[in-house]
Amino acid sequence: MNFSEIQIIGEDETFKGLKSKYVWLFGGIFVFLCFLAMHYYSTYISFLFPISKGIPYSLISYIVVLSIGPFITLITSFDIVSSEIETGSVRYIISKVHRSSFILGKFFFLFLVFISVSTGIALISLIYQYSEGNAFQLKNIVLFWIFSSLYLGCFISIFLFISTLSVNNKISFTMSMIFLGILVFFFLQGQDNYLKYLTPFFYGVKNMEFMKDFPAGAGYLTVFESLFSMFLYMLVFLSMSLLAIKRRDL
Amino acid sequence: MAISTKNLYKKYGSRFVLENLSLNVEKGSIYGFLGQNGAGKTTTIKLLSGLSTPAQGQIFVDGMDLSSESGKIKQILGLVPQDSGFYDERTALSHMVYYGRLKGLSKKESLEQSRVLLDQVGLGNEMFKRVGYFSHGMKTRLGIAQALLNDPKILILDEPTNGLDPVGIRQIRQILRECNNEGITIFLSSHNLLEIQEICTHVGILNKGKLIAESTIEKIRHLESNGVITIGVYNLSSEMISLIENLKFVVKTELKAEHILEIFVNSRTDVKPEINRLIVESGGQVFKLIENSLSLEDAFFDATRIKL
Repeated sequence: MNFSEIQIIGEDETFKGLKSKYVWLFGGIFVFLCFLAMHYYSTYISFLFPISKGIPYSLISYIVVLSIGPFITLITSFDIVSSEIETGSVRYIISKVHRSSFILGKFFFLFLVFISVSTGIALISLIYQYSEGNAFQLKNIVLFWIFSSLYLGCFISIFLFISTLSVNNKISFTMSMIFLGILVFFFLQGQDNYLKYLTPFFYGVKNMEFMKDFPAGAGYLTVFESLFSMFLYMLVFLSMSLLAIKRRDL
Repeated sequence: MAISTKNLYKKYGSRFVLENLSLNVEKGSIYGFLGQNGAGKTTTIKLLSGLSTPAQGQIFVDGMDLSSESGKIKQILGLVPQDSGFYDERTALSHMVYYGRLKGLSKKESLEQSRVLLDQVGLGNEMFKRVGYFSHGMKTRLGIAQALLNDPKILILDEPTNGLDPVGIRQIRQILRECNNEGITIFLSSHNLLEIQEICTHVGILNKGKLIAESTIEKIRHLESNGVITIGVYNLSSEMISLIENLKFVVKTELKAEHILEIFVNSRTDVKPEINRLIVESGGQVFKLIENSLSLEDAFFDATRIKL
């Protein structure tokens, strides 16, 4: 693993991503949907939350991230490796750098993009809160930023793994959609089914409780437990991506 | 040795595509890797450049083991793959700067070297053009340019002249000669036998995953036979042909026309008098007897046919 190689690949992806209209389009859609949800909260979705503690703008945004985030991540991540394999450009890169640097560079670029999107949404929540004259909920906004970044990071690592296994974009997209469907199915299996623990949805929804009511005292440990679980989830799929690219004939 | 492999095996599924491949590429040479379609040339190149891993065997590049020192090896190796995999929307210079940075150059160094190399391969005026607008020949030259970043010791090319017109082939040949004159060892695979003959100093012939011949260009020409004698006999008969084929220095014969026989020989001495005497004693009327040296093409077909 070479950090400068990872940095160069990540930088190059960022450079390409900034020039890509799709990155701006889907990032913009994401932010816009969060804005819409916050704006029309009082009119259409206020029945979902009690307003005793003020309008939970960060929670509203978090629900949008929970529901739309996986799809946006899929669209931006599915071809991150498979497109390079399909066109053959991966040979020019892998003949110069470690395979692990290639995967990690791609991952950190995607993670950076979605952290930026989460940051954007967090800032909009902050501004919205302030402009509506509501109480300042910095803690919730920070929690939103961390939870949504890790939640989306889990999906990035999943789709990166699938993209690494695929020989072309079509297969990568299909497999990613199928896998996402399987995760949704697992999550919907109910309380007693252990399959839900294999899905990022479970951890994402669990984090909503912390945003509604942050635990005091020893309850902090449950928050760290949740953060650690999501981080571990990301790490598992990232490790699988590294293993997959190591054994791959290019 | 610049490159050497020891007992290399590669499998796809249960099928061996390379078997017991042990080749040696001398430093400073231009090594031509010949073989029919599907012989395993591209697979070998992928193994040498780290794009693939062998099922068994070892690969040494500049004395370093590829399995444990791939990072160092990648810094001294330049690869030109068969298919151009450039990004259509990026410019030639942008590609070069990126690849230069991946090879360990700073941004400034990469930019400077890129401009020089693009000029060297004749793309100086096209460096700001998007690669999507490049012709096949231009992409090949860009491929060579990116492989030359950070002064590699070894250049590996997979069928670099494939699909090029004669002008393009000549340009590539010139570039490769210049690189070799600067001390770069070149390993290239090709179908183009004339091309190999023109530029290479050493040749390896691969047939169905096995290296069946490896030597200098001159020795390869004399691999199975070192000459071809064309004899014209007015009353040529099958008995005369059998007598000739029984001579110990005769590798094989080919009937080119009713009265014309080609005899492939392997001998250091002049055997024409002995052949002439044999035919005359059999009652033959010889009207033609000339000797030609074997081309690489003949040697290639000899080698691959005989081993089938």
